[in-house]
Amino acid sequence: MKISLHNIRAARQNWSLEADATFTEGLHLVSGDVGSGKSTLALLMAQQTDPLEGNIHREDIHSMMLSFQFPEYHVTGLTIADECESWGLEPDTILPSLGLNLRKDDSPLSLSRGELKRFHLTCVLAKEYDLLLLDEPFSSLDCYQKTCLRTQLETRSHGITVIFSHEQAILPRVSHIWEIETGKLIDCGTPPDALMQWHHIPKIIRNLIKSGKVPKNISPEDLEEAACRTRE
Amino acid sequence: MQDPRIRVFSGIILSLAAFISIPGAAAVFIWWLIFTPVRTQLKRIRLVIFMVIVIALFSLLLELTAGGGGISYFTRMMVIILIGMWMFTEYQPGDFLKLGTWLFGDRTGFELGMLADMGMQSLSQLNLDFDRIRLAVKLKGNQWSIRNLVPATLVLVHGALMRAETTAELLAIRGFTSGGSLNPEFSRTKKEVIAGVFAIVAGLITVFPVSEFFILS
Repeated sequence: MKISLHNIRAARQNWSLEADATFTEGLHLVSGDVGSGKSTLALLMAQQTDPLEGNIHREDIHSMMLSFQFPEYHVTGLTIADECESWGLEPDTILPSLGLNLRKDDSPLSLSRGELKRFHLTCVLAKEYDLLLLDEPFSSLDCYQKTCLRTQLETRSHGITVIFSHEQAILPRVSHIWEIETGKLIDCGTPPDALMQWHHIPKIIRNLIKSGKVPKNISPEDLEEAACRTRE
Repeated sequence: MQDPRIRVFSGIILSLAAFISIPGAAAVFIWWLIFTPVRTQLKRIRLVIFMVIVIALFSLLLELTAGGGGISYFTRMMVIILIGMWMFTEYQPGDFLKLGTWLFGDRTGFELGMLADMGMQSLSQLNLDFDRIRLAVKLKGNQWSIRNLVPATLVLVHGALMRAETTAELLAIRGFTSGGSLNPEFSRTKKEVIAGVFAIVAGLITVFPVSEFFILS
């Protein structure tokens, strides 16, 4: 199972994005500044927009989901229960875990952005997809919810999951790190080696590396382990 | 067309000319073919499909019930839509703010221009939002249908209200009460000036019949 981007290029006005990469099974992180092209890359990988040049090849990918940064776009139900059903899920099994079982007749738009994001991500992650593209999944979530999401993402064992994010604090243990810089998708590799190539590296990881304590991965547990490590 | 003054002035004249008569609409259509990037606009034709359908239905009703006039109405309205599309595609953020201030000064003009610019930007955002909503429906494995219109409209209105609230808060935080100062600068090409002149000519053709200009036996 893989998705290959063969010398693709997207452009508009003074902005462009180039990518030549292959994503295989596992959890991938694509980082980059705001406006660098993370959302465009997600749309390209979802084949919902065409590149100006190059092509995208999918192998053994039969199901795909793209989660937008703003969860409102996904709302197609007039009530929270309808919305649950629109994802093919049973409201009575999903809503109690979110504390929304008493609000199932309310409009999804009556939820706060954070609540709606959590509800949306729960619906998305309740299913298995061969290719799951998550555009800024941590935005609008509080620290506790970010931690819950991180744990959920780490437990995914099926398919290719790509997180497009500029989150710097709470990240899951990933199998591959990529970054978008100066209009190009750059392959940083797999952690811990990837950490040496990663320009968008969070400050805390940079400081750990500076002090000679290279974490094995980027999750808070990995950082804690590295920080508490005694030098040999 | 870079200069919003020529663009808006031409747009108003051309719309009126197209609305008044069929010869006017024909002249405006020729103007549109010569002076606007036709191909770029045709790519965005889907933006106005809903409007075209509504006008077509209304024209059909007019043709059948009022004893004619429906085809003429449809033709004239289509040309007005083309002019509207051209004005929309040529719009650059800040155009109305500059134009408003230039026309009516720092207080009324600034506020009118700012409101118009906010409206235009909101329209662009609504268009983007609508594309995302349609895509989200598709991603759920559903076909876009009339049933999606109610929730989609709710999401669009909700989004627009949220953005309006944020903008109002930002303006209040920055101390905005009324008006503002701006020294608008405009740049234009020779082709734009020629296009403006020919827009006036198209308007004149509507007001004065072509036979007025030529001695026809």
